[in-house]
Amino acid sequence: MAAMLTRKGKIIVFGLLILTGVVLLAYGVFFHSKNILPQQNEDSVMLVQSEPALIKEVSVGGIKRDESGRLKRTYDKTPPKVCPT
Amino acid sequence: MVKKTKLSVLASKLLPWRMGVQSAFLLTWLDPLGLRLHNMCSPVFHCYACPLSTFACPIGVLAQFSALHIFPFVAVGLLIAVGALFGSLICGWACPFGFLQDLVAKIPTPKFDLPKWTGNLRYVVLIVTVLAVPYFWGEEHWLFICRVCPAGALEAAVPNMTGQAIAGEKIAWPNALKLTILGVFLIAIFLMKRPWCRMLCPLGAIFSLFNRVSAFFVRFNADECTDCERCHKLCEYGMEPEKSPNDSLCVRCFECTNCDLNALTFGSIFEHS
Repeated sequence: MAAMLTRKGKIIVFGLLILTGVVLLAYGVFFHSKNILPQQNEDSVMLVQSEPALIKEVSVGGIKRDESGRLKRTYDKTPPKVCPT
Repeated sequence: MVKKTKLSVLASKLLPWRMGVQSAFLLTWLDPLGLRLHNMCSPVFHCYACPLSTFACPIGVLAQFSALHIFPFVAVGLLIAVGALFGSLICGWACPFGFLQDLVAKIPTPKFDLPKWTGNLRYVVLIVTVLAVPYFWGEEHWLFICRVCPAGALEAAVPNMTGQAIAGEKIAWPNALKLTILGVFLIAIFLMKRPWCRMLCPLGAIFSLFNRVSAFFVRFNADECTDCERCHKLCEYGMEPEKSPNDSLCVRCFECTNCDLNALTFGSIFEHS
């Protein structure tokens, strides 16, 4: 496929890919968020976390899916220092 | 004779300093300022549990988000953007885990080559341990990538265990499979060049998909090639650059562009050849 692509074709493919990447990245950074249950279920206030915050949480194993498929924190007050894996 | 472009001239001047560039990137990934920016991914293979990691590992993020059934827009967007620009040039010039293997490969031990088909195992690792196993069985499964990853074992488990031992705390040992894989990896890097990158790296598998369409690539000028096969000897990873200049197994070290005839040069879509 690449052999048959002219320089113009390569620029178009590159442009589409870079646009896709930037759009996904921007959406993830600025718009994407999820509701997270606190560890203690009795407290029904959900935490809304942006994707960058979710990335930081998963890097220490701070979030898991519970049996009902909802996202839940694995810690109460202080997050773990390192990923448990 | 093909006239060298400005970019290829610049690249050929930078080529002898590749290890210097890799060292400079290493400083970036090792959090020299203690920023711990784990809310962002880097585009390289470096464990986020390493005490000296600036950013989060994109593979760890992909796997964890797969386990949580969340689409990882940031990680996927970053990998597509970086892949579209550079392809596996990241592997050859920026990745700290690849750099470690390059350094060990300098030690004069007997080296064995890998059959080309072993490169397909990277896609198996990506699909199984990074995507499918986390999605269907969660991060507790023994085949979850972070539970077997040698980068995690070397960069995170070993320093953290050392810190625990020094502090007199209880040492949290990694599981037996992870230790075994680490042991095999540490032997393999003395006997092969970049065994992880060429056989098992899921991040390299992703970037290799972009090699034939990325903005920066290896340009092959067929008119200049005399089939001398000097590039076969220049390539440290068993490739035949003149036959497949942007192969998915290529880590884009660009050593093959030391071709005296300008048959292989650094190319970009932004310049006319």
